[in-house]
Parts: sequence; structure tokens; C-alpha cells
Amino acid sequence: MRILLAEDDTDTRQFVERGLGELSHDVISAANGEDALHYALTEDVDVIILDRMMPLLDGLSVLKRLRGGGVTTPVLMLTAVGRIEDRVDGLEAGADDYLIKPFAFSELAARIQALGRRASPASVATRLSAGGLEMELLGREVRREGKVVQLQPREFRLLEELMRNAGEFVTRTMLLERVWGFHFDPQTKIVETHMSRLRAKLNEGGRADAIETVRGVGYRIRST
Amino acid sequence: MRAWPRSAANRIALVAFLAYAAAMFVLGAAVFIATHAAFAQQMDVSIEATTNALQGELRDDGIKGLIEAIAQSRRPGPISLGTSLFAPDGQRISGSLLTSMPAPGWQSIVFADPQEGPDPARAKVTLLPGGYRLVVAADLESLESIDRTILEMFGTAFAVLLLLGIVGAYSLATYLRGRLAGIETTSAAIVAGDLRQRAIVGPAGDEFDRVAASLNAMLDRIAGLVANLRQVTGDLAHDLRTPLSRLRNQLERLRATKVDAGVEELLEGAVAQADDVLILFDAILRISEVEEGSLKRAFGILDLSHLVSELGETLAPLAEDSGRALVLAVETPLQVQGDRELLSQAIINLVENAIRHTPLGTTIRLLARPDGDGAIVGVEDNGPGIPEAEQERVQQRFVRLEAARSTPGHGLGLSLVRAIADAHGARLKLADAVPGLSATIHFPRRIDL
Repeated sequence: MRILLAEDDTDTRQFVERGLGELSHDVISAANGEDALHYALTEDVDVIILDRMMPLLDGLSVLKRLRGGGVTTPVLMLTAVGRIEDRVDGLEAGADDYLIKPFAFSELAARIQALGRRASPASVATRLSAGGLEMELLGREVRREGKVVQLQPREFRLLEELMRNAGEFVTRTMLLERVWGFHFDPQTKIVETHMSRLRAKLNEGGRADAIETVRGVGYRIRST
Repeated sequence: MRAWPRSAANRIALVAFLAYAAAMFVLGAAVFIATHAAFAQQMDVSIEATTNALQGELRDDGIKGLIEAIAQSRRPGPISLGTSLFAPDGQRISGSLLTSMPAPGWQSIVFADPQEGPDPARAKVTLLPGGYRLVVAADLESLESIDRTILEMFGTAFAVLLLLGIVGAYSLATYLRGRLAGIETTSAAIVAGDLRQRAIVGPAGDEFDRVAASLNAMLDRIAGLVANLRQVTGDLAHDLRTPLSRLRNQLERLRATKVDAGVEELLEGAVAQADDVLILFDAILRISEVEEGSLKRAFGILDLSHLVSELGETLAPLAEDSGRALVLAVETPLQVQGDRELLSQAIINLVENAIRHTPLGTTIRLLARPDGDGAIVGVEDNGPGIPEAEQERVQQRFVRLEAARSTPGHGLGLSLVRAIADAHGARLKLADAVPGLSATIHFPRRIDL
């Protein structure tokens, strides 16, 4: 993916540049808001990472100008202080996702992947299929190798998030946000517990593990 | 209006009024006594003068002249005097004063008034040469009538002044209470956590304005210190978070390269330690954020029963996996003004605490029910509970009871719950559930749709 990274803090910028480069992404960097706006309008990028506090023009203003000018490129906002109001402001201004600094790089990487995927219009599907699993979104039915698996509502939503991002890692934080609507860390094993129940149901009868877990990164369902 | 003895303003007004009334009374009494005495003295002077005049007649014209003078002496005046002359044998030989013969000297006598019957009078009885006695008396009725007039006038004036006094005292009390209420309202708002409130300082620059001004100055100072403390705490947590997460990320990257199994294990431990500290900083920042109360503007109407039911569904597997049972006791409908995420966090913390600090097999009740005009949400367990003396202490930051030393945590869970409750104008209450602990959040008001 081609990613625009707008961040004025040199340490953070280099850290993100290096990480994204290792994942074979093409990164364009900007150290202030005006440069960021310029690149966003002139370069063809898949995802924009926008720091909220920047010299010359702050991230929120850049975002408003982009959205006002009809630019729909997915935007991930970075903020130094995790205030609820800031998140609401950012989302209202048209940000697609929000990440509080400091963050683990794997968290940023997973979110960038998800945003890049969201840009392609696959989310209107009523049927998802990945890793030997079939999911009927309207009938709320899940089959593994043709056999129906009975899931609780939360388990269904967890699996849906994984299948929508099949082949990519989905982090614990992303699941908390999307399945439970929690933009805070409840410091309890909510995701782990429900994930282990989902996994047990999917794997019933000694079948191979449908969900891959990488500690410190997240969960993934194989895309094939 | 509050009860009399509880209000200093009322007491001050009452004391002022009583002093005023007492002064009025003393003044009235003094006027009365002075007037009475002056009049009585004037009466005595008249009696004395008449007696002297009649004695003069006796000297000049003998007893006959005296008898004649007495017969003519009934003259009109402000003080009506009566005179009688008694022979040595006690026989009244002249004068209109109908009385029996008194002893000599000043005294009170009773005479027979032709119109009114027996009447008291002030009399001077003079022993004349030859055993005659001259009685000159003034009817006390005129003195009494003057006394009555003075009393009536004074009584009316006293009643009017008393009425004015009551009005004045009431106005004073109302004024004092009004001035104090401004300061009190401000203080109450500050106690409730709103440090931005200030007392209104009037233009007069009087004592109340000076008290309000110094209260405000004190508040500015406290607010400054609190803001400073928050700033320092927040900055510290925030500033340490950045290098710490860089360190964590570098360790993570190092782990991703091929290293020995032993080194990998060490790196993993280091990352876990860093994560633990980051979690602690996040918790501190979160409490500061909630305590600042700046979140209040986002509060909408929240379906508490729905929220609690959902959380029950989410948390029941956690309780079950840890060997405890989570049961729901939710009454519907139950709406309050609140923030879904904050209250979710509070309830999760309460359930998490109940799971962590109770023995296996404990039943945890997650409840939501109406309470008067308000609502209660919280947990009750049938575990060992917390001693009453410790219940207040565990709500403070970083406090962990001896029994909880072995379980993970930073002792910030309940502080956050309390901060969240405060931000909602609700109260966190810990109580004995006999057996076990009840930890509940009490909302003063619920919203009926």
C-alpha cells in the first residue's frame, strides 16, 4: 500500500516509517500539516496516517479540508492524549479510525491493513467465506465444512470481524471497539474468553484450529 | 426557611430584635416613672402651698377666718384639692372633704366622693394650735388618669415599634441569609467537585463581599494547585508512556529477530513488565480524565437495564471460567443520564473485583433496579466481604488490602469506579451483603420516558 504519514515527532515518524517499510508499504512522510495537506491532495495514497497535533496546520484541520474537498481516502488519526472528546471530534470530522499514542506498532499495522481493505467495496456482501467457514450475515448462520455451528451473538460478531478481515490480523483493541463498542481497555479477558469459546465451537470434533492467534499481535482467520 | 436555632442569620436578627424591644420597654418605663414622680411631686407642692395659705388665714383671722377661707377655697385647677377642718373632738367643722379625722402628717386617705363613692387621696394633715386639724387632700384619680393616658400612649407606640422591629428583624434575617446563601451555594458546588464555581462579589465592598472575595481567592489558589497536581500527574504518566512504549516496541522488534530461546523468554518478560506499567499509566490518566468532569457534556439518556443485561452476557463466561457464577437481577425499564462506555467500565471493574477477591464457587449478582426516584446498579457477592472499617479505604488510589496482595492489580479499579460515579453525580457505596460484599452505584435520579 501507499501510505501518507503525517507526524511531526521525528522519533515516532522514523519508528513508523521503518515498521511500515518492513511490511513492504510505500511511505510518504510529512512533518507538518501543510505538507500533509499538499501530499494528500497531489499524491495517490491508499491510507493517510494523520497526527492530531502538528505545526502550521493541525491534523483535524487537514482532515476537515480533505473531507470538505471530497477526498475520501481512509484516515487514521493519531493523538497524544486519549480523551474521549478528541476521539468524537476526530470521528465527526471524518476520521475512519483513531489511535492513541503511544501505540504498539502491531496495533497500527493491523489498523492500516483493515483501513486499506475497507477502501475496497467488499463490505456490502451478505455472505462471507474464509478458511473453510461460511457466514450468512442476514440469516446469522455459520457453517464449517457444510456443518452448522451454533454461536452466541457476541461469538458471531467476533467471527464476522475476523472474516471481514480474512488473512489479516485483527487486534484485541479493534475487537473491543467493533464488537463491544468499548474504546477503553477494560483490563479483563473479555476478548480472550469469548474468543476461546468461539474457537472451541468452531473446532468441535477435533478439526484444525480455524483461528490463528499471535500473542501481542492479534487474531487471524486464514483467507483461503 | 431553615429552623431558627440552625440559622445564625435568624439568631442575629432575633437578638437584635429583642435588644430593640427591651430598649423600647426600658425607655417607656423611664418616661412613665419620671412623669408619675413629677406629677406626684407637683401634687405635694400644691397641697403644701394650700396648707400654708390656710395656716396664714388662721394666723391673720383666727379660726373663723380659716373656716371661711376653707368654705371658699374650692377653686378649679388641674389638681382638684379637697380641704376639711376637724375640731379637737374629731368633729368635722368645715370643708367639703368627707373623711374621718386622720392622724397628723403625710398619708393616703380614703374619702367619700359624692359622685363616685370611696376614693383614695393624698393628704397632709396639719395639727393646728388649739387641737384643730387641717386636712388638705388631692384626689389620686387625676394622677391615675394621667398614668393611664401615658400607658395607653406608650402601649400604642410600643405595639407600632414592635411591629416595625419584627419587619426589620425579618428583613435583616432574610438579607443575611441571602448574602450567606451565595457563599454557601458556591461552597456546596465546590464540595461536589466543581472547582470552577465562584462566589458573587457585590459592588459595595462590605464584609460579605470581602469574605466572598477571599473565598474566591482561596479557590483560585486551590484550583491552581489541583490543576498543577493533575498536570504534573498527567504529564508524568504521559511523558513516561512515550519512551516506555518505544522501549517496549524495540524489545518487541528484537524478539521478532532470531534469538535464543532463553533470550526470547527474557524479552517476553520485559515486554510484559513494560505493558504492566503502561496499563498503570493508562489507568492514572483515565481517572484524571474522568475526575476532570469534562466528559459530562457527552452524557445522554442511557438504558441502564439494557446495558447491564449486555454486560452480564459478556461477563458471565469470565465468571464461569474462573469458577464463579454470575447471575443477573435486572429490573426494566431503567434509564439514567450517563455515558455508556464509562458505566460499562465501572460495572466491568466491579464484576472483575468480585471475581478476583472471592473464593471459588461464589455467586455474583449483577443488579440494576429502581431506588426511590433514582436507580442502583452494581454487584453483590456471597464471598467473605470487606470489613466495614476498610470499605472507605479501598476506594482510594493504590490501596490494596492485605488479602489481595497475591492477586494482580494496581489498586486503581475502585478509584476509577468512584470517579465514574462522581462524574455522574452518583455515589459508590460499599456495604455488607451479609454475607459478602455489595458494591453499588446509586444514581439520585432516573429518567422516565
